[in-house]
Amino acid sequence: MRIKEAEGSAKIKQAYANAVPDICGVILSECKQEKGKVIVMAEEKKTKGTMKYIMAAAGLILVLGAGALSANVYRLNYAVSSTVSLDVNPSIQIMVNEKEQVLDVKALNEDGETVIGDMDFKGSDIEVTMNALIGSMLRNGYLNELANSILISVDNSDPLKGEELQARLAEKVNELMEADGFFGAVLGQTITEDSDLRQLADQYGITQGKAQLIRQILDSTTGHTFEELAPLTINELNLIISTGTSAVEKVSSLGSASEKAYIGEEKAKEAAFAHAGVSGQDITFYEMDMDLEKGVMVYEIEFKCGGFEYEYDIDAQTGDIIKNKKEIDDDMPAGSQVSSPGGNMPAAGTNPPGSGTQVPDSGTAAVPPAQQNSGGNAGGNSGASAPSAGGNSGSGGTSGTITLEQAKEIALNHAGQSASAVYFDKLELDHDHGMQKYEIEFIVGNTEYEYEIDAVTGAILEYDWGHDDGHGHGHMAGGTGNSTGADSGTVTSEQAKQIALNHAGQSASNVYFDKVELDYDDGMQIYEIEFVSGNMEYEYEIDAVTGMILEYDWDQD
Amino acid sequence: MLDMTSMEKLRADCNPDAVEQCLFGIERQEPGALEEFYYRTSASVYGFALSVLKNTQDAEDIMHDFYVLVWSAAGKYRSDGKPMAWVLTVTRNLCLQKLREYRKKSDIPQEDWESYISGNGNMSAEDKMILSECLIRLSDEERQIVMLHTVSGFKHREIARLLELPLSTVLSKYNRALKKLRKIYGGEQ
Repeated sequence: MRIKEAEGSAKIKQAYANAVPDICGVILSECKQEKGKVIVMAEEKKTKGTMKYIMAAAGLILVLGAGALSANVYRLNYAVSSTVSLDVNPSIQIMVNEKEQVLDVKALNEDGETVIGDMDFKGSDIEVTMNALIGSMLRNGYLNELANSILISVDNSDPLKGEELQARLAEKVNELMEADGFFGAVLGQTITEDSDLRQLADQYGITQGKAQLIRQILDSTTGHTFEELAPLTINELNLIISTGTSAVEKVSSLGSASEKAYIGEEKAKEAAFAHAGVSGQDITFYEMDMDLEKGVMVYEIEFKCGGFEYEYDIDAQTGDIIKNKKEIDDDMPAGSQVSSPGGNMPAAGTNPPGSGTQVPDSGTAAVPPAQQNSGGNAGGNSGASAPSAGGNSGSGGTSGTITLEQAKEIALNHAGQSASAVYFDKLELDHDHGMQKYEIEFIVGNTEYEYEIDAVTGAILEYDWGHDDGHGHGHMAGGTGNSTGADSGTVTSEQAKQIALNHAGQSASNVYFDKVELDYDDGMQIYEIEFVSGNMEYEYEIDAVTGMILEYDWDQD
Repeated sequence: MLDMTSMEKLRADCNPDAVEQCLFGIERQEPGALEEFYYRTSASVYGFALSVLKNTQDAEDIMHDFYVLVWSAAGKYRSDGKPMAWVLTVTRNLCLQKLREYRKKSDIPQEDWESYISGNGNMSAEDKMILSECLIRLSDEERQIVMLHTVSGFKHREIARLLELPLSTVLSKYNRALKKLRKIYGGEQ
């Protein structure tokens, strides 16, 4: 005869519970000794006045002798007090104890391994270790004139300590590089343990420090994804930060990132001006950022001249014009546009002869709304199905184009999520069959959401929710809805029952349902379904959104 | 503060709310909080460490390190209603650290489990047998999955997240492990 699974589980649980050696007393006294609270514990035990008191007291004496010492020794010597990460392109993690002696040095990528080589740092001082690692990076050419930026991140449970160590190390590294006649740039930050960050770091094989830096860049800019930025070197990230308009908080910076690998701002400016047919004197507004566009470092140059607004993306290495745009300057008084000398310039989006690398501009070009809609309605975006587009669509004389922020809001509202709880994976404005749509992807916990939102009406064109369980199956029943109703895409209890029955190989007629419940767990809606057939008990948990079987259990009575 | 017998009743009771309260109590250094936390979670911590390291002394060391660490770092826990996930993540990290040390020394010794498992005085012969069967017959992952599900009360989904395995793998390994274990209970498949 077989034992029921529940009973088996209980036995296993009991076996494990009883196998735990009782070292509670030792631990308790070690911890309390550390905080000087031993006496409190002894007094409390006294009131019980039984054998237990004697046992406790015995434990206490033992601890006062050896335990207290071992706890302190443990913390001082073996406990990881700070984790220091170094990123250039090689990524290296250094674990140090409270005395700032190195416990372990770990390479997080192949370049990191090259840098560490066969050096063994265990027990060395952190500053000595940094010295050796920076030296090795210089020798191996990871730090050079073209890429001179290094990121130091310190993780310590005590933020003040972390900050102090970080500042000291940044200063030290700067000194080291200067002593070598090398003008480096040091970025420093403290990080706090965060499971999202760890997940990202693991996923992309980078340090948590670099992950945090990228996340901060993503927070302060739009149009990038984590995936895009992860392979960049710290120098490239530093360039994006230092030329960016929005400051990245919580990152301290010494020195400046090398631009020597690139053509330089002046050349980029010349190229843009020459293409636009304007001269430097006529410019009324000018701004330059370095940024990443489709995997290429670019100079993003914006300027205004003669009633027009120009935007150029210039490949930072080749000087090619990757993108150009010309628009009527909205800020100009209406009358001045007419008289502006616009005739001598190429029209927006036209490619000059000889430049094959041009891509039609995909920005928020001011296309008349009517033109947008005529092409767009074929895609199935009946205006009525836009759940929260509300005032965005067709609001009179304005362009009718919704912003990225609005599109994000629409997707979040539909998914029932708030911006603070999600991580945006992809934010893109795309052209498809003559219509503009936002492609938005975000992650909450282990659920991935994908939305396509009409950039003109705000209608949700398509959405897909799935589980990020490494297998990519998750788009089962009801996954892709084409906005047929207000809350489509959710599985009904009947459908959930059917999914469970199919999986169990049973039919509704020969089972008895014990329980069909819609439950919330971990922010997810889940059907809990239990049914009996013959002497078998079945339990299922089914994702109410995707219809995916999350968990099942079969028991025989 | 609870006395010993009430504490004994809490052994391996990983009710998330109660465990979370313990962590808050530890952060505020309330008397009894660490003790209650120990009784509720030690089966999971020790069980997981044993499942990974397959060495009773190492598992005991991990358990020691874990509670000393929690005492000083309970403030690092951020309330999310899933304290056991935090407990097991920290435990897992300690175990991985230990494994890294081992990789440089030698292999983990194979042991005659029944003679090594001493337990805490409540241990019956059957308990010993079940435990050593888990250690001998199951693969590392199977053992960890069974332990997390039965002892720590983790859902398969949560196990998948902790062990960084696909959910389907966790499900199939769990079912395979139970099939193996059923044979021990005297029945044939």
